[in-house]
Amino acid sequence: MRRTYVYFTSLLILVNSGTLNAQDTVRFPLKVRVGIDFVGPGSYLWDKKNNFNLEGYISLDRSEKMAYVIEGGHLNYKYSQYNYDYQAKGIFIRAGVDFNLLKPDVSSGKYWAGLGLRYGLSSYSSETTSFQYKNYWDSVTSSVPRRTSMGHFLEVVPGVRTELFRNLSIGWSIRLKFLISAGGGKDLRPIYFPGYGTGSKAVNVGINYYLIWSIPFKIKTVITKPPAPEEPEETQVSTVNQTQQPFTN
Amino acid sequence: MMKKLYSFLPAIVIAGCSVLINSCAPEACVEETGSFLKASFYSYATKLKVPPDSLTLYGLNMQTNKIYNKTTQVQPALFPLNPSADNCTFVIRINGITDTIQFIYSSFPHLISKECGYTFYHTLDTFFYSKHTIDFIYRNSDNITTLNEENIRIFY
Repeated sequence: MRRTYVYFTSLLILVNSGTLNAQDTVRFPLKVRVGIDFVGPGSYLWDKKNNFNLEGYISLDRSEKMAYVIEGGHLNYKYSQYNYDYQAKGIFIRAGVDFNLLKPDVSSGKYWAGLGLRYGLSSYSSETTSFQYKNYWDSVTSSVPRRTSMGHFLEVVPGVRTELFRNLSIGWSIRLKFLISAGGGKDLRPIYFPGYGTGSKAVNVGINYYLIWSIPFKIKTVITKPPAPEEPEETQVSTVNQTQQPFTN
Repeated sequence: MMKKLYSFLPAIVIAGCSVLINSCAPEACVEETGSFLKASFYSYATKLKVPPDSLTLYGLNMQTNKIYNKTTQVQPALFPLNPSADNCTFVIRINGITDTIQFIYSSFPHLISKECGYTFYHTLDTFFYSKHTIDFIYRNSDNITTLNEENIRIFY
């Protein structure tokens, strides 16, 4: 009976020590997220319905720190100024990762502040329906016929996200875009192309505001604090020994 | 941690708004939009770069619209080519003596920037010239662009 008591006491201590460790862990929900941007549709309504950009993303949490992201979208762009009329239409995809800079106990799967890295690929057709050029001899009106091109770019995407309601979040991100290739050759680079923006600039900046639906698929237990040092454990063991001593004697 | 995050958020909001405002603001065209054939003047005797004391330049049959009119210290002279033709002829008067130069070339559009639009670049094929005061013309580069690159050297 005494032996049973000692084992029970030891078990209680073990359970208690386990409970103490549990305070240093967080149950972090890993999620699949589907987001849709509303800067594009918003500016379509605001900007005289000339340019329609629709984009969204799907992300999959790999861990509490990192998520895989695929983004895609469509752009129908028209632009006119005093010396040319331009239009471009096409699709783009971006693939990359998001890194969460918040600690898991702060983030809790609800808040995100971090940095994303993307590679972007754009397939589009563009056309300059007319442009004017004036010099000493004459004023010339010409055009650049429609052609299909591919553009490549990289992005660094800092941003924030927060949960509004259960599994529904909003978030926004700034996009720092670095051009690899705009397509179209060195003379007829696109004025603007889907996913990147102004094709004659080596660096572009963009912004997205997302409404996000999250689907938790797994709960991960994340240790937020390393295990306690060995010294307190020794104290526990000595406690056990003290408990055991009367029995052995 | 959350306090730190909240103190960081206004900076992000301000940065985001300024990015949004900047990205929507129209920008001005500041790049060079004219592409010219650039000709430097050299003394045939010394082979040194010497601008003419007086330079008059105009397109053939366009004497009412002169590019240079008895202008001094022109170095280099800028020849605007006609993008709607594959050749053009200039009348050039160096120190009061007149010559003509005809350029044969091809033209193609080139995007300068979203703000500036398009210009025409040219590829120089060949040229012909009279030799009243011009002794020799040396071809340096066939690419006629907006860049400051010498295309021909006129020895006189």
